[in-house]
Amino acid sequence: MSMFENNKSIEKMNTNEAYFESRVDMSAPSLSVDEFLADEQTRESSTNRRDFLKFLGFSVAAATVAACEAPVTKAIPYVVKPEDITPGKANWYASNYYDGNTFASIMVKTREGRPIHIKGNTDFGFGGGGISPEIAASVLSLYDNERLKAPLISGSQSTWADLDKKVMDGLKNAGEITIVSNTIISPSTQMLIAAFSEKFGRVNHIQYDAVSYAAIRSANEKTFGLAAIPSYDFSKAKTIVSVGADFLNGWLLSNAYRVQYAKNRKPENGSMSKHYQFEANMSIAGANADERMMVKPSQYAAVLAALAEEIGASTLGVSSGEFKSNAQIKAAAKDLKANKGASLVVCGANDEALQMLTNSINNTLNNYTSTINIQDDVNLFKSEDAKMERFVSDAIAGKVKGAVIFMGTNPVYTHPKGKALGEALGKMNMTISTASWNDETASKCKYVAPDHHALESWNDFAPVRSFYALAQPTIKPIHDTAAAQESLLVWMGEATRAGRESRAYYDYIRKSWAANISGRLGADANFEEIWNLAVHNGMMEGPKAEAQAPTFNAPTQVKPAQATGSGTHEVVLYTKTSMGIGLQAGNPWLQEMADPISKITWDNYITMNYQEAKDAGYNVVMDQEHGASLAKITVNGVALELPVIPTPGQAKGTLGLALGYGRGENGEAIGRGAFKTKEYGGYEEKDGKRVAIGANAFKFVNFNGNYHYTGAASLSKIEGTYPIASTQFQLTAMGRTSIVKETTLDAYQNDDSTGYNLPHMLMTHHGPEPVSKFDLWASHPVEHIGHRWALSIDLNSCIGCGTCLIACQSENNVPVVGKDEVRRGREMAWLRIDRYYKSSDELAIGTKKEEFSFTALEKNIDENPTVVFMPMLCQHCNHAPCETVCPVAATTHSNEGLNQMTYNRCIGTRYCANNCPYKVRRFNWFNYPAYKKFTEINPSQDDLGRMVLNPDVTVRTRGVMEKCSMCVQRIQEGKLKAKVDARPVVDGDVTTACADACPTQAITMGDWNDTGSGVRKASEEKRAYQALEEIGVKPNIWYQTKVRNHSNEELRKHQQAVAAKRKHDIDKHAHNHAEGHNDHH
Amino acid sequence: MHKEAAIREPLILGHKTYHDITNDVCHPIEDKAPRMWYLLFTIAAIVGLYGVGNILYLLGTGIGTWGLNKTVGWAWDITNFVWWVGIGHAGTLISAVLLLFRQKWRMAINRSAEAMTIFAVFMAGLFPLIHMGRLWLAYWVLPLPNQFGSLWTNFNSPLLWDVFAISTYLSVSLVFWYIGLIPDFATLRDRVKNPLSKRMYSLLSFGWSGRAKNWNRFEIVSLVLAGIATPLVFSVHSIVSFDFATSVIPGWHTTIFPPYFVAGAVFSGFAMVQTLMLIMRKAFRLEAYIHTKHIEYMNIVIMVTGSIVGVAYLTELFVSWYSGVEYESYAFINRFSGPYAWAYWSMMTCNVFSPQLMWFKKLRRSMLFTFIISIVVNIGMWFERFVIIVTSIHRDYLPSSWSMFYPTPTDIGVYIGTIGLFSVFFLLFARFFPVLPIAELKTILKSSGESYKNAPDDHH
Repeated sequence: MSMFENNKSIEKMNTNEAYFESRVDMSAPSLSVDEFLADEQTRESSTNRRDFLKFLGFSVAAATVAACEAPVTKAIPYVVKPEDITPGKANWYASNYYDGNTFASIMVKTREGRPIHIKGNTDFGFGGGGISPEIAASVLSLYDNERLKAPLISGSQSTWADLDKKVMDGLKNAGEITIVSNTIISPSTQMLIAAFSEKFGRVNHIQYDAVSYAAIRSANEKTFGLAAIPSYDFSKAKTIVSVGADFLNGWLLSNAYRVQYAKNRKPENGSMSKHYQFEANMSIAGANADERMMVKPSQYAAVLAALAEEIGASTLGVSSGEFKSNAQIKAAAKDLKANKGASLVVCGANDEALQMLTNSINNTLNNYTSTINIQDDVNLFKSEDAKMERFVSDAIAGKVKGAVIFMGTNPVYTHPKGKALGEALGKMNMTISTASWNDETASKCKYVAPDHHALESWNDFAPVRSFYALAQPTIKPIHDTAAAQESLLVWMGEATRAGRESRAYYDYIRKSWAANISGRLGADANFEEIWNLAVHNGMMEGPKAEAQAPTFNAPTQVKPAQATGSGTHEVVLYTKTSMGIGLQAGNPWLQEMADPISKITWDNYITMNYQEAKDAGYNVVMDQEHGASLAKITVNGVALELPVIPTPGQAKGTLGLALGYGRGENGEAIGRGAFKTKEYGGYEEKDGKRVAIGANAFKFVNFNGNYHYTGAASLSKIEGTYPIASTQFQLTAMGRTSIVKETTLDAYQNDDSTGYNLPHMLMTHHGPEPVSKFDLWASHPVEHIGHRWALSIDLNSCIGCGTCLIACQSENNVPVVGKDEVRRGREMAWLRIDRYYKSSDELAIGTKKEEFSFTALEKNIDENPTVVFMPMLCQHCNHAPCETVCPVAATTHSNEGLNQMTYNRCIGTRYCANNCPYKVRRFNWFNYPAYKKFTEINPSQDDLGRMVLNPDVTVRTRGVMEKCSMCVQRIQEGKLKAKVDARPVVDGDVTTACADACPTQAITMGDWNDTGSGVRKASEEKRAYQALEEIGVKPNIWYQTKVRNHSNEELRKHQQAVAAKRKHDIDKHAHNHAEGHNDHH
Repeated sequence: MHKEAAIREPLILGHKTYHDITNDVCHPIEDKAPRMWYLLFTIAAIVGLYGVGNILYLLGTGIGTWGLNKTVGWAWDITNFVWWVGIGHAGTLISAVLLLFRQKWRMAINRSAEAMTIFAVFMAGLFPLIHMGRLWLAYWVLPLPNQFGSLWTNFNSPLLWDVFAISTYLSVSLVFWYIGLIPDFATLRDRVKNPLSKRMYSLLSFGWSGRAKNWNRFEIVSLVLAGIATPLVFSVHSIVSFDFATSVIPGWHTTIFPPYFVAGAVFSGFAMVQTLMLIMRKAFRLEAYIHTKHIEYMNIVIMVTGSIVGVAYLTELFVSWYSGVEYESYAFINRFSGPYAWAYWSMMTCNVFSPQLMWFKKLRRSMLFTFIISIVVNIGMWFERFVIIVTSIHRDYLPSSWSMFYPTPTDIGVYIGTIGLFSVFFLLFARFFPVLPIAELKTILKSSGESYKNAPDDHH
């Protein structure tokens, strides 16, 4: 089985015309390639596509340039309409995204030539087309006004001609040329760098990743003789054990792992993977685990050794210490052994010894032919840690004499010795950066040759050995930038600049594909066909090496690297699902996205064990006015001051701290959203420079052969509190039974569903009747006639990653409001993900142990709680409480079941929001697109930023209420499309942005009145329930009960008792009723 | 002629003649205003202007200048609205209900109480307007003809019922008050020397001539208006309470609200009347007309309505437990033990415990004590509305959206400002309008006046 099941081989493609046609339809219906591919004559030609792009580019550039200079106040029709741009109609293009840390295949939506929305390429994309919030939000970074608009020489704006001349002279005379780049996964760029090296002859190329996984490569080299990162397949693993690896967020190719993981988490399929997580921070993977155990990073080695002992693998001489015969490890080992060949053990430490130990376990479990494919290895993460470290030391020591070129990397920010490196760079006179922003490194370089944004450039990628992806531009370069590769070509003397029209790198990629790649994709394939198809689909897949078990050569003794230094705590550095390594710290969508675990926006902070924080006197109760306590955290002699967030599930003695913050510490122009703003607008400033949000945790990374993201830390409380902008302060669901429902896999498979999904009954004269039978109001006709749009949200599939949040924001023009407003409880998100921890007074989230222990429920959170993520949005109630109370009928029910908001009619009494039991309505407290408080952070106040707005959705004015519309514009589009095709709307024609973006397909959208639709079927599942069913508002949203694959006998007994009692009640009444009936006669 | 038992305390003290009554009421208008009036007026005007400034800032910038958030959509705005409407209840109750029940003691207080009602309703009406996100479209709440667009209002919305209830109440109260003023304006017209004042009072008195026909019509209109106004006393606050009672929010969704709100309104209205009367009788030397007996009567009303309110609070608590609904139970547990417990217990102390002290005769006849309690009651009633509104919505169904409400300076400024504006109106009223009904007082002088009451019959 292929890891990428969606893909078809090239041979099949060329022999099957029907398939060819269908593919065209499925992906991008309006792409011009359709037309010219269908036409034999044009198929011969290689220029048509580029002509089209010229047209596209020209019109876009014209519109863009006009928009940059003055606000467009009038809509001007095209004099000559570009062939493929129909005003009001979106064009979708397949492309790929790679930023040095994360890779995904994407579909870009453009309107009138502007990219406005990104979603995963689920038809053909890598790893099922899973994307992350960062990728979805990257479309906004395209329009960041702080992106470099022209090349810089010594910090001042210059011209390409000038820069090229000086750089070429410099390179000619420089001694050694060092290229520091992120991991290059572009085959063409690799070829180019090789050519560049050959041309200059003295090139030292260092690949350096901000977050390194070098230990996995070197461990595989030592144990298997293959310096590779293998492809993992979580969908095939029945037992997953992760030791400190947050594989659902950030760890390696987590965009793909999310998709794989979710496939095996649907209990309807009969089985469900069992996931054990051993970790210090409460990570996304940990929050989704069936069994989670809190361990310190220094204990990872012992945990792995204990696991190895239990399953009979070599421990490589590592002691299992205190974990020997640990019950939880035994349980995990038992499951692993039972699923030999269908299990997976991963470890998050960038530590060679631990990775070798992990290999030993996986090898014993025969996983190398099933869940792990080391032959189809990953091309990402080739960080050369030692080489980089040597370069940095040399640079600081003044020993780097020649030229240095930084490509796609920012070591002044991401390297622990970045500050010193920056100072050293300042003293060198042949430093070049190709950064798109004048970032920490670029601002220290003499020459900056700004690269395009990913959406403006051609590129190719090979994320794994067998997969070739093409990125195509979806807009002509907005600014006077040039592809970094083109710059190299120019400096080599092999190309000339041609401004925005430049095709240098495009031609180079085609040349490289013709020479090296097309052959691998099919021996007798026509290059143009392959090329056009790759552009259209965004990818081509070559033959994939079958997984073969490599020979395992166990070293007898390995030595885990211990955390250096000493301190009271161990710190674990992690990446947030929104911020990642901080590449888009200037992106306000990402800054404002609530962290899935902490629900905090616009900040980084130290996470600390809840009880420990309480005991040490840190503030544990926070709200709008009561912030967090501040503390000083010191690692390796570097100190940072940050707020402390008590976090349930954080291992005692450990601290968590996110990377990616503290960008622009010296006021570098890295994006409008990266800096603190004041209460009434304007940036907070210190010494004339803007103050960065958060602090740079990369300073805590330590080097010990590899870069390590854990270390010894000491923490001391400092005076004062710090305001926290969180979207949710409450930790538990308060034992409330009709919000979240949870059960175990055993109960789901064997017991009566009434136990865990008890329908709310009302006692009547005729016996208990389900609440859904009662109507205070006349039943809505929509419930049975025409369309009834509905959603089903699977709490089991939702991993909380938050991709839907950004998709919703991008689709619906949801305003950014900034930290101060979020702190005041006024975030505008139409869709939020509620996070509930289990309280020790609950058997499971939503099941109380006993009645009337309200205050206890609020406070006694489990030391190591289970977590439920619950996406919450407008429930589109058929008896909507908001609709009855609006005095002017601004919110009404559509005849398709939507609760719709008429912004024009709204006078802003907020009565609807008060009366909403789900609290999903959002009020425009200010005029976000104009009020000065939001100038710095709200993209719609920026001429360029405004380009990201979806023209199909109104930008709301102040004083009106807004909320989820179930993407009514998409519903309308789907209906119209069906109408044009003269057919009824079928399942799949319409989907919401959130459902479309969800990598785990937790959200299903469709027509409930269509009895064959997915959402209708989901609503009839035995897991389906409606939140707050008993208040009788009859939502159009169903939730699916969370099923945890663990044993919870107490809960199961309770649920069995509930089911038995309900059955008894109904029987008893039926009996009484029958008797009464007889008496009557 | 009406005859009153000798053991009843007289309602007009001292040896007053008809002329004395006219003089006592008209002097403050005809004389130069005392320095104190100017001082009070200046303070009130400054506070009022500060409030206007805050309102302008609010309208110019957005509702975000208040401390509201995604969870708490109403707080001080609607609290103040309900509080002022409640205060506005006493006037009409005194003039209409007490008129129908022939309570003669109302004569001393009805004029000012009605004025207070009208000004309080002005203040109340301000809040539903300024709390709108888009005030400039406020006329959309009116069922206007189609020239304004084909949209019609939503008659299901209690907020719309409010519009009708408040506007009806305001117009009826205003007419009722004005009708009562006409004979007194005529008296002033006949007395004042300043030609401008004469012209003004002449206009205001609608050509009143004092003929029997005038009096006859006056009495009939008063009675009819009293009949119309009486149900309004009960309807207004019942309808205001529907804003909450018809919702689905635990703590709001309560059938007990209409009677409980009306009792609370009378309670707070009487307290406000007490506050104002006690100041006015001193300032205008009206001790002969407003004295211990009047104060005692009003204190009894306060005590009774306070007890009704207290019973309602306890009933709510009991029902929340008895319902077995976890959201409902929690809403009330949260009220008395949650983060706003201080507001709940302030409310309980002020509204339930303090009026019970009125059982002591000595206390309910004490001017100082009454003054303090009257203020305490209004503080308590403000907290009652705050507790109902904020503590119910700040923690409703989904714990994820639980939040707190913290007022901003604009919240406070607008509220304080309405007290200032109210005072400006009331001070102007006291300066230019007869604060006691001259004509009506004269009707009870011979039956309830001290000098007549205790004199032997043959004096007549």
